[in-house]
Amino acid sequence: MNNKTTIPFGPQHPVLPEPLHLKLVMEDEKVVEATPAIGYVHRGLEKLAEVKDFNQNVFLVERICGICSVMHAQCYVQGIEAMMNIEIPERAKYLRVIWAELHRIHSHMLWLGLLADAFGFESLFMQCWRDREKIMDIMEETAGARVVISINAVGGTRRDLTSEQMAKIVRVVDEIAADMKVLEGALLNDYTVKHRLVGIGTLTKEEAYALGAVGPMARASGVAQDLRTMGYAAYKDLDFQMVVEKDGDSWARTAVRFKEVLECIRLIKAAISKIPAGAEYCVPVKGNPTGEVISRVEQPRGEVLYYIKGNGTKNLDRLRVRTPTFANIPTLLKMIPGSHLADVPVLLLTIDPCISCTER
Amino acid sequence: MISNVTEISKDQLLSEAQKMSGQGYRFVTASCVDLGEDKLNVIYHFDKNTELTNFRIAVKRGEEVPSISATYLCAVLVENEMKELFGLNVTNIAIDYGGHFLLTPEALKNPQSKITIVQKGDN
Repeated sequence: MNNKTTIPFGPQHPVLPEPLHLKLVMEDEKVVEATPAIGYVHRGLEKLAEVKDFNQNVFLVERICGICSVMHAQCYVQGIEAMMNIEIPERAKYLRVIWAELHRIHSHMLWLGLLADAFGFESLFMQCWRDREKIMDIMEETAGARVVISINAVGGTRRDLTSEQMAKIVRVVDEIAADMKVLEGALLNDYTVKHRLVGIGTLTKEEAYALGAVGPMARASGVAQDLRTMGYAAYKDLDFQMVVEKDGDSWARTAVRFKEVLECIRLIKAAISKIPAGAEYCVPVKGNPTGEVISRVEQPRGEVLYYIKGNGTKNLDRLRVRTPTFANIPTLLKMIPGSHLADVPVLLLTIDPCISCTER
Repeated sequence: MISNVTEISKDQLLSEAQKMSGQGYRFVTASCVDLGEDKLNVIYHFDKNTELTNFRIAVKRGEEVPSISATYLCAVLVENEMKELFGLNVTNIAIDYGGHFLLTPEALKNPQSKITIVQKGDN
């Protein structure tokens, strides 16, 4: 007797902050097939970019996703700068790293909180978000906004950091590092939390690579792949240490993001200690971009790729964005079949889905 | 300005994808560019140790392009996306959403293709 049942999971579901649909084919409580579907909030931003001028597009790409807004803009301006042969001030490279790593902390703390919420650990969720809030306060104090902070510009950055602001950033990230030691006990070592994460949704190194996984998804399966090793911006001077785990399960994905917060803190402090003095953080830009370029940076969720084609006018012929969630969705085809229905929300969260990015 | 890009014909696409897979390259994505007059360029991006290798094919809209999803399953999303947003006729996609990956039945066809404004009459 065929006792298969098809369950629609999402697009509206308590665990989903954004709309993603999964068609789950079930045998009793076990998932035997999962097909993801998107398309609920597609905005056509790539098309909109063709009618904005290349400077306006900095603000547009920041709105692809709030949580990765700094890195979207960074990837875009790096591409335009490569097309126009613009050498930005050294100080701007360090400023970009500081704000990008602050953004990575706030993204990972947001995710760690959402994961705790997904498996029903409300107080842990609030503790993670309490620390995230400290980063949001820094954003507001240094850039005037909490999420979309608009600090990148073609030619450098739109703002500088004062020595007082940098001293405060060091003080706050040290506080967060101390809090992380407390959170480690609950997030990585607690018996009930491990029960929900260890051995759940395992993705081998070979599977992760073949399915095109990026970011913490790939690194949790032992794929040593992080674009910060390419040394863009000031990363080449900061002795970046990649975080890699081997088990490929939900616990490993949590551990990678947790440990990356500590690496972000180290990078921020290293960047602040080495930032070149000087008043110049942006150079004037003349002319219009022409030719083609591919620009890539490492966002909190993984590699983002921008393909940019200019035609010598202020408008671009094409702006193509491949976001990390777009690359990580295929892993669901492998991770979810074989799991229990109760684990689907946790599995879905472990790819850190950003549908705003995916449906740019 | 893109380094490491090779122009190939669409007939070479599958064999090049298989070579890339055999050499341990990761499929990153494909980028479709509408050149106007129903001409499309598709650039396939592959990565190994953070080095990109790119292949470009040139096709007419509606012309059949084979799917590489039998070699790289992860290509299904971008192939469905290019099919709907640009009208690229990708055939044999491992999971074909039948034109409803992103678009609804009422949506404009190929919404990211080049827009041509045609003036009608004296006004």
